[in-house]
Order: sequence, then structure tokens, then C-alpha cells
Amino acid sequence: MRGFRWVVMILFSLVTVVPFLWLILASFKTSRELFSAPFKMPERWMWDNYRTVLESHPIPGYFLNSLVIAVLSTVMAIAVATLVAYAFKFTFKFKNGWYGLVTFGIFVPTNAFIVPYYFIVNWVGLYDSLFGVALVYAGVSLPLSIMIIKSYMDSIQKELLEASFIDGAGVHRTFFRIILPLSYPGMSTASIFLMITAWNELLFASLLTQSEATRTLQVAIRFFLTTFSANYPVAFAAMVIAILPTIVIYIFLSDRIIGGLTAGAVK
Amino acid sequence: MTRRQLVMYLFPALSFTAVFFIFPIIFVLYMGVQEWNGLGSFRFVGLDNFYYLLEDPAFRKALVNTVYWILAGILLHTPLGLLLALILFKKPKGWKWFRTLFFLPNVISTTALAFLWYFVLHVSLGLVNNLLKSAGLDSLTRAWLSDPATAVFANMVPFVLYVGFTMVVFLTEMSTISPELYEAADIDGASDVQKDWFITIPLVKNAVAINVIFNTAFCLRMFEYPLLMTGGGPANSSLNLSLYMYREMITANRYGISMAAGILTILIGILAMLAVFGLLRLWERRA
Repeated sequence: MRGFRWVVMILFSLVTVVPFLWLILASFKTSRELFSAPFKMPERWMWDNYRTVLESHPIPGYFLNSLVIAVLSTVMAIAVATLVAYAFKFTFKFKNGWYGLVTFGIFVPTNAFIVPYYFIVNWVGLYDSLFGVALVYAGVSLPLSIMIIKSYMDSIQKELLEASFIDGAGVHRTFFRIILPLSYPGMSTASIFLMITAWNELLFASLLTQSEATRTLQVAIRFFLTTFSANYPVAFAAMVIAILPTIVIYIFLSDRIIGGLTAGAVK
Repeated sequence: MTRRQLVMYLFPALSFTAVFFIFPIIFVLYMGVQEWNGLGSFRFVGLDNFYYLLEDPAFRKALVNTVYWILAGILLHTPLGLLLALILFKKPKGWKWFRTLFFLPNVISTTALAFLWYFVLHVSLGLVNNLLKSAGLDSLTRAWLSDPATAVFANMVPFVLYVGFTMVVFLTEMSTISPELYEAADIDGASDVQKDWFITIPLVKNAVAINVIFNTAFCLRMFEYPLLMTGGGPANSSLNLSLYMYREMITANRYGISMAAGILTILIGILAMLAVFGLLRLWERRA
């Protein structure tokens, strides 16, 4: 039994890690070497591949674009979701109906909205802007954010609110003084989830942007293989540069990311 | 809370919902019965777009493949994620490292992963074929991504790596199980497998539900792997609904057809979710 356990764990680790190691090795080879000996160590480590990439593509710029979109969209969605989740702490007419209205989107395959989103973003003049993409991401992920944050707020006792009102604090004051600090874990859980989704998104980013100034990392990676199709190792170097920072950040934050993510999902 | 205050808190979410869900649904419904190629004015064509879809072999293929994706999301991820979670839950040596590693593909660029696995499955460069060759199984090697029989399944291979997410959801649910249950089982002399089977698995039903719903939604939206690994080919054999809509809009400029497919995709999404919820409720009642 114990043996089986280790076989599964090691097998799955290999499947995850080996392709990355191969990618890193391949990124240091010459194109000819890649095809003649795809699994050997490079004869000479070709740092030139990396230089070629960094000289021809503003990868830090793409990185920044992705980051700006991820942060902007997350901040918008979380702010809106926290406000509405607070409203659901109170009783009012058709409360369940309103809640259904703002969360039904979670079941809608939003990729069916490519045409309307394209039109909306064009109409408001945000085509090919980082803000346009961020706005769409915020809209798409709002239902999930509301669900996660509301489930956290549900665990805040009503007595706490009542006590705050008896103390003379208004609705807004109670929101900032009581609700906001206590909802922080839910908000950060939702944020992590939203940041990861926004960071990895390709469909809307390629639909709503065009120029190099607004290109996200995902869209850029998609172009690497075409621009470097004559020289795969250079494309591989580009991919290594593109994913390495994510891995480094992840290694430092993995406990928070994993812990946070599921704490929200399971509640 | 006064009425005005209530509106203040509800308003931002309602306007987002109106702009990004309600209006798009109306728009999709409207566009689905029009003909438009990106220029000029719309032309009402009634249900012609839907008749076209039913006749279009590419659309039918996309539909079937989308169902395959959803089935893979449910039938592969749930048992595999549960297995990994059961193993890591016993906290073997270095389990935190394994947890971190197994979750890693979820945070890495999907686009990069798609290309990476494109090369893993590559005919001559690929790890898979070279492993088979070195094991003396030359007859099993294939052009995985350009063989119509295997292309759609080859697309799903990297998707299996996302099982780390499913696993973590299971792990979290498991961490809420009271340790006394296991202590009692130990006193009764239960084996590890018995503890898994009779204590842990029945208590993570919630996580099964969450995972099934998440994976279904995820598979319905799947776009990157078909686009980047096979482009939907060869001969549309690995097309799915996302890619079909995208191609009809961007490449073919048939906005009406694209959105008619959009209507059907939304319907399938709703049906899939209802089916999943229904099954879960049935299961709960039985248990």
C-alpha cells in the first residue's frame, strides 16, 4: 500500500516536471541539435537564444500588461462583489431573486459572448486598451467573486451588526469598521482565484487587443512560435522567460495561494 | 438600511450584471437569427443559422467533442484528484512539496503549457513517442496530434495536469473531518484502505460536487488547448464549441452563425449544470 502511494506520487511528479526540464534544456540548444538529439544535454549552452528573445521582444512590457490587467480586474470585481455581498446581510424584498440575478452568470459559458463583448468594448471606445480587457475580466468573474465573498460574510454573526447599529454607527460606517476587516479572508481568496484566471486568459485578451503596447503575456507567447518558427529553441527560451517569474512567485506564495483558494471554494 | 442605501450597495453589481450578462444574452439571441459578415447591415434570416449548424459536420464534431471534454473533466479529474488527495492527506514525507508541485500547472500560463505539451506529443521530438520507442513499443507510436483518431484526446492530456486543483479542494474538505473518527477506527483495527473507504470518501461529498461543477464549467470554456495544439484539426476532428464560435467570428466573419452556436452553447451549459445538480441531489438522497 505504501509502495503504491509513492509510485503514484512520483509518477505524477515526473509527468509535471519532466516536460519543463525538457523545455529548459531545449531552450539552450541550437535548432539542429534539437532535432538530432532532443533528449541529450546541449553540447554548448546557447545563452544567445535568450539574448535574441530579449532583444527582439519587450517581454517585461508584456509581463507588466498582464499584471496591470490582472490587478485592475481583480480590484474592480472584488470591490463590487464586497459591496453587494454586504447588502445581502440585510433583509429586503425579493432578496433571493436579486442574489440569483447577480450570480447566475457562474453557469453561463461566457466564451459564447465573444461577439457582444467585442461590440461593447468597441462602443465605449476601449478596444485595444488594458482597461477594456480588465473590465471584461471583472464582469466575467463577478458572479464567482460574489459567491465566495458572500459565503464568508454569512459566517459573520448578525449580532455583531446589530451591536454596531446600537452603538450608533451607520450602515456605511458598519461596513468599513466591522464587515470589511472580517471579510478580508474571503476577499483575498477570491482575489487569488481572479488573479490566476486573469493571468492565464487568452481568448478575450486576443479578441480585445491588437497592438504590441497592450499585448499580454499569453497573447505574446502565442506569437512566439510563429515568429520563431524557424528556430524553436529561441521560442522555448521566450517561454522559459515568460513562465519563470510565475513559478518563482508561486513557490514563495504557494501556501497562501493553495490555502486561500480552497478555503473559499469549500465553504 | 434605507432603500437608498440598499440601491447604493446593489447598484455596481447590478450594472455589471446588466452589461456583461443580461445585455450579452439578449444580443446573442438577436444576433443568432441575423446574417452579418462584419460589414453593412444585419439581415434577418430566422432559424436558417440553426439549420446551417445542424447540417454542418464541423459543428456536430465540435458538439460531440465538447461532451467528451466535459466527461473527461468529470470522470478523470474526480477519481484522480481524490486519489492524490487521499495519499497526501496521510501526510507522507514531503507532502507539502508534492502539494505545491501538483498544483503548479494551475498557475502557469495555459498558453505556454499548451505549447509545451504540443512538443511532448510531437511526432519526432516528442517525449511520448521517444519513450515508447526506447521501451521497444515502436508499433504504438503515432502522430498523436495530427491523427484524427487521437487528436481530441491528445488535447486533453495536458488538461489532466490541472487535477491539482481538484486535489486541493478535496484536501481542504478532508481537513475538516474530525480526527477522532480516525482514532476510533484505529482502535477497531481498520486498515488505511478501510479508513479511506468508510470514513474519508463519504465525508467529502461536498468536494465532489464542487469539483464536478468547476470542471464542467472549465471544460465548457476550454479554448486554449484545441486552438494551440491542433487548431481544431486535422479535418476539424478536435474542434470544440469555443473554438468553433471563435473561428466562425474571427476567421469566417459569419457573426450570425457564431452566435447561433453561442445560443446552443449557453443552452448546453445550462443543461449540463442542471444535470450535474440533479445527479448530485439524487446521490445525496440515496446516501
